[in-house]
Amino acid sequence: MQKRAHTEGIGFLRYFVKGDLLTRLSFFLMGAGSLFRGQIVKGLLYLAIQAGYIYYMITFGAFYVIKLPTLGTVTQTKEFDPALGFSVIKPGDNSMLILLYGVMSLLLGIVVIVFYLMNIKTAYVNQVTLRAGGRLKSFRDDLKDLLDSRFHVTVLTLPVVLAAAFTVTPLIFMILMAFTNYNRDHQPPGNLFTWIGLQNFTQVLYGNPLWSNTLIRLFLWTIVWAFFATFLNYIFGIILALMINKKGIRIKKFWRTVFITTVAVPQFVSLMLISKFLHDQGALNTLLMNLGVIRQFIPFLSNGMIAKITVIVVNLWVGIPYTMLISSGVLMNIPEDLYEASRIDGAGTVAQFFNITMPYMLQVTTPYLITQFVANINNFNVIYLLTQGDPKSLNLYQAGETDLLVTWLYKLTVNEQNYSLASTIGIIIFVICAAVSLLTYNRSRAVQEEDQFQ
Amino acid sequence: MKRKLVMLLTAATMVVSLVACGGGAGGNAGGAASQAAGGASSQESGGAEAGGAEAGGDVITLKVWGPQEEQALLQEMTESFKAQYPDKTFEIELGVVSEADAVSRYSEDPAAAADVFAFANDQLRDLVNAGALYEVEREADLAYINSEINALAIDSATLDGAIWAYPETADNGYFMYYDSSVFTEADMESLDAMIAAADAAGKKIFMDVSNGWYIASFFIGNGCTLSLAEDGTQQCDFNNAAGLAAAQGIQAFVDSSVFVTGDDSVFTAGLQDGSIAAGVSGTWNAEAVQGALGDNYAATKLPTYTTGDGTQAQMASFGGTKLIGVNSQSAHPAEAMDLAMWLTNEENQIRRFEARQIGPANIKAADSDAVRANIALAALALQSQHAVSQKDVGGAYWTPAEAFGTTLEAHDTSKDLQTLLDEMVAQITSGQ
Repeated sequence: MQKRAHTEGIGFLRYFVKGDLLTRLSFFLMGAGSLFRGQIVKGLLYLAIQAGYIYYMITFGAFYVIKLPTLGTVTQTKEFDPALGFSVIKPGDNSMLILLYGVMSLLLGIVVIVFYLMNIKTAYVNQVTLRAGGRLKSFRDDLKDLLDSRFHVTVLTLPVVLAAAFTVTPLIFMILMAFTNYNRDHQPPGNLFTWIGLQNFTQVLYGNPLWSNTLIRLFLWTIVWAFFATFLNYIFGIILALMINKKGIRIKKFWRTVFITTVAVPQFVSLMLISKFLHDQGALNTLLMNLGVIRQFIPFLSNGMIAKITVIVVNLWVGIPYTMLISSGVLMNIPEDLYEASRIDGAGTVAQFFNITMPYMLQVTTPYLITQFVANINNFNVIYLLTQGDPKSLNLYQAGETDLLVTWLYKLTVNEQNYSLASTIGIIIFVICAAVSLLTYNRSRAVQEEDQFQ
Repeated sequence: MKRKLVMLLTAATMVVSLVACGGGAGGNAGGAASQAAGGASSQESGGAEAGGAEAGGDVITLKVWGPQEEQALLQEMTESFKAQYPDKTFEIELGVVSEADAVSRYSEDPAAAADVFAFANDQLRDLVNAGALYEVEREADLAYINSEINALAIDSATLDGAIWAYPETADNGYFMYYDSSVFTEADMESLDAMIAAADAAGKKIFMDVSNGWYIASFFIGNGCTLSLAEDGTQQCDFNNAAGLAAAQGIQAFVDSSVFVTGDDSVFTAGLQDGSIAAGVSGTWNAEAVQGALGDNYAATKLPTYTTGDGTQAQMASFGGTKLIGVNSQSAHPAEAMDLAMWLTNEENQIRRFEARQIGPANIKAADSDAVRANIALAALALQSQHAVSQKDVGGAYWTPAEAFGTTLEAHDTSKDLQTLLDEMVAQITSGQ
């Protein structure tokens, strides 16, 4: 890759050396190599890109790009206006907008550079073609190509542009925030924030004992949660599906419908209802007390340990129907002759489950499990709607016992306006998820023996 | 966060349009540039308008944020505001942002935030520190506030000797609602007597102790303080001897058989099914409580409680107000100030009370038979003698205080009270 870029770079220099006047001109004036050789529309388009970008940078972009290294130096000031009777506020630099538009302008610059290189190459190709006595492609030919030999370009342009605009740009912006001190004490518009390097990372990893302690405890709980939420759902879902599919079970459709009804109610509604239901003074506690089963309410959601168990159990109720649906499909695909053969060899139901069903299921569903695991690491809904991360603990910084890293991140942004710390944690979560996914995915049989499964 | 994303997406759309049609780039970018410079250039035009240099033709756009329940009222008030200035053309846009969310919504994008917005006074320091507000400096405005607004409300809008917003209501506080068939007026003097009466009647007393707002009542009542240091870090002495005595008082209450905690819904539901006979809450629940208790509906100041030292201490409270501020990024600050003044004048404070039973900050508006006859507001007025302003309470206080209350409510005795208090104070004062 690097090698190719290297030779390409030399290639463009060679174009300059070997190029005629027009080719050389297009190093400075985009589209010259097309425009003056008859490709009017193409040439004008290149020229427009150059003119547009220069205009954009002069009127708008350059200001932000220049300020990007400092993220702004001018603070908001006010000046008394006797005619009005109050001090009029003169806005200063807004570090957040500088970061945002600075990044955007730079990315836009990269796009323009790509067009710039394309323009040079076109100019040189045109020169060579003409010298060889060939005919240049007209704009109409280019359009035809886009529907024919270069159809992939036509199809891919929109997704690539959208992904760059809606995913990559915001992502870079958010990631960069982790290297600033954008927190409660540095809020725009009255204050500036600036680059502080890796300080947030060192603080959260070991510098600030309370932060690092919170990070470690929430990380461990996040992993524990993701493990149980994923695998218990998986196992119970399979068992449920097996039970329903078992020969001799009547009205299968009815059972399937009964279990699927939990999916019919929107998740957030059922979660919030359950949260009310399990409250210290909620319906379940009141019922149990009135029945005389318990004398004191059970702190389903207000005791750290019990709350952790509660969220896992409630999540089972919410999640099992989905796994049941998915595994039903896979189970029906397992060749019946495998079971028959094993039965002849004298295998019981349990042996069949562990030696046929599970291996088959695992091979097919490992990618699904990985996705689920990562999704559960970031399972904001269940935790936030059920407990909001509570009960709070003095051992944690701005977090509660059932907070996942992702809900902690949410609290830091919304309640604390500590965007830089939240962004830092976001990056840490990403690293964890990426590591877990890559490791397990590449080692999974579904990937290694992809060709074997048909 | 979500708002910021939306903003990013719109910004990103701009990039798309730039890339997608290179030819149109000039126009697009120009638009964006003028947008970004809008803050500065329209600032000047705002000045010009107010200076009277402008003919009435231009439309002055103002955005107002208020809570959901007040939208209809705001609509009326802004209509009457427009009628006040027939020579100017206003376009007033209302947005739903509750007083509690003002800071977080504002900080998402100051330039896109409302010109005039309502906020709870505990957010004043955050807003002033962020440079988000216009100081109230106009002579007429100051004269109105100083002469017609009650002192506690003025104090709640004052920071570093300057007034930063227009007081709108003076009713953000809490007191004790009770069922007069269970408690006598004498019972309401002390928490011990209340507990005894409730116990005898088999009823419960509600207080959300796992909430920094309410739990402070005990500590501040016993002489502890919350303050802010010069550098803005929170100071808290809840772990001194008085704090420990207060904490022992809380523990005794929490451990008593009549104690019940939860959120507003627990309180009102308990009143309705008759299990709860008294509770600490504020005016926002007045209607619900009155509906549940009917003729036995009563309210008064908070009682005294027995500290760990055996003395009686009057439970304090936070006395909060709601304020209306003018965004420092406003393109029309003078008109925005006019509107803020209008929304908080005597006439509109009376209308707000009539429509929503909210206690006015205006002295004359509060001095009416209707306000005095309001049981909840009367109780609030009684409690206000024991109320402290919330403006010296920073953001670092709430979560640790809630965690402390949660630990007590869970009857978790794995650490002794002094350790818990030390941990709480360490977190509150740890800066950040």
